[in-house]
Amino acid sequence: MSSSKIIQGRGCSPGEFEGEVVVSLEPFGFWQGIDPETGIVINRRHDLWRASLANKAFVFPYGRGSTGTPGIFLEAVRNGCAPAAIVNVKSEPMIVACAILAEAFFKVSIPIVEGLPADYQKLLRTGDRVRISGVSGTIEVVSSG
Amino acid sequence: MNLTDEEKQILDGAFGAPQRIALKVLVKLGEAYGADRLVEIASAHVVGSSYQIAGEAGIEIYTQLVEQGARVKVRTTSDPGSIDFARWQQFKTPAGYAERQKKIAELLNRMGVIPTWTCTPYTTFNVPRFGEDLGWSESSAVVFVNSVIGARTNRLAAYVDVCAALAGRVPRFGLHLPEGRRGEVIFELTSDLSVNFEDHYFPALGYRVGQVTGDRIPVILGVRRATFDQLKAFGAAAAASGSVALYHMVGITPEARSLEEALGGRQPAERHVVGTREVQETMTQMSTGQDGPVDVVGVGCPHASLDQMKRYATLLEGKRVHRGVELWICANTVVEEMARRMGYLKTIEEAGAKLMVGTCHNDCPLGAWGFRRLVTDSGKFAYYTPTTVGTECIFAGTEACFEAAITGRVDRR
Repeated sequence: MSSSKIIQGRGCSPGEFEGEVVVSLEPFGFWQGIDPETGIVINRRHDLWRASLANKAFVFPYGRGSTGTPGIFLEAVRNGCAPAAIVNVKSEPMIVACAILAEAFFKVSIPIVEGLPADYQKLLRTGDRVRISGVSGTIEVVSSG
Repeated sequence: MNLTDEEKQILDGAFGAPQRIALKVLVKLGEAYGADRLVEIASAHVVGSSYQIAGEAGIEIYTQLVEQGARVKVRTTSDPGSIDFARWQQFKTPAGYAERQKKIAELLNRMGVIPTWTCTPYTTFNVPRFGEDLGWSESSAVVFVNSVIGARTNRLAAYVDVCAALAGRVPRFGLHLPEGRRGEVIFELTSDLSVNFEDHYFPALGYRVGQVTGDRIPVILGVRRATFDQLKAFGAAAAASGSVALYHMVGITPEARSLEEALGGRQPAERHVVGTREVQETMTQMSTGQDGPVDVVGVGCPHASLDQMKRYATLLEGKRVHRGVELWICANTVVEEMARRMGYLKTIEEAGAKLMVGTCHNDCPLGAWGFRRLVTDSGKFAYYTPTTVGTECIFAGTEACFEAAITGRVDRR
């Protein structure tokens, strides 16, 4: 896999990640969206229902956020089952706040990159292995899943 | 970001760890969203007051802050908790759960947070003024104070709200800027809908506006009059189905004396016409179940006002809630006390309805009840209760909700 592709976005939260991606095509809200004990999606209306986000790079278009979002997110961070990186078309303040707070209170850095093209499902698929830099805003697909 | 000398000293730790951590969070958020500086706030309102939201992570964060001597710098009120502090046993809340909520209460109290336990703090001890900058969370309260009062706050996230309270500041971007408050999407009511606009159309229209608008700023044309409670219901629904943090209702809300003022001189991105048929379509979408027997009725989302308590008492006068049905009215403790003094509470309780104070169906664990079908007059409840309570949800007007509680059935046709 020498021909790795690189997607250039904008870094919203610093940190580095290398691992698996889980890709959703629908907006996501963490409050009533995941079980913070397991990192598994509990929203039955969502395309990732029953999938695990734990320690993966979670790709979704944008957040649909209750102001309680960081409550659930940080509980997952505390339990070691939060997504380890986030990639969006647009990262709203509610999502970026989750990463800032995780760093401030739990010393966990969660890189966030926004600026994915709208047809991102052509570039990233669940199971792909990627390298993400929240500083340079790059997403490098290392190998396809 | 341009920081004042005092802010730089805070970041250096001159005023202690809690202020340093809080300001660091706010500066990072501001940098991510292009804020030029921080702005001082008149008050804060915090949503991580509920154990259901904050959980053990919240208890850890608050404990750390309290041990470091954290005190809020501005007037700060608490959103609902996850229990009715006086009646949690009556609502079948597990004792261990109630203990954790009480722990949060103790920690917030030590930081100097006023324990209002309400999503309508603007009816109690936290009343913003026009043009004031604030650091608030709770989507239904944010949309109310921005739209109806004309105060200025972004939708803060849980814990960011606590940071704002501790630092007395927020990053200046979005709704703090005049150019961030201009209407973007017009919703024009047909003359038929405008003339025959019923009470329960407010949450239904709000729900539809939220679905279409997302996080942009809607402008509503054609609402002729609206009460405090109707605006509260409209905004709460729009903030739940979308992420609406500010709406302009031309002729009604203070930054929309005219359409031109609401748009701030710009062309709107979209224009939608809404008629009676569209509102009725939305009401159908808001319900996930069919007509039939009902086991729980929820009103008072957002928390009921005293006017609403009077209306509920009138609807229950000489009536009896059907056997096997729970009618719960959610309110804050200030309204509870006034309703008691006015005699409304006596009428309500004699009819077999219950007051649920300082929390609501959404925030309180209700698994022990085994409810199947909930009826509500709230757009926000309609959006969330299928997940939070795990029931079918039927949206109906306030009168129809009380009728359902009394007859034990909901029949919308």
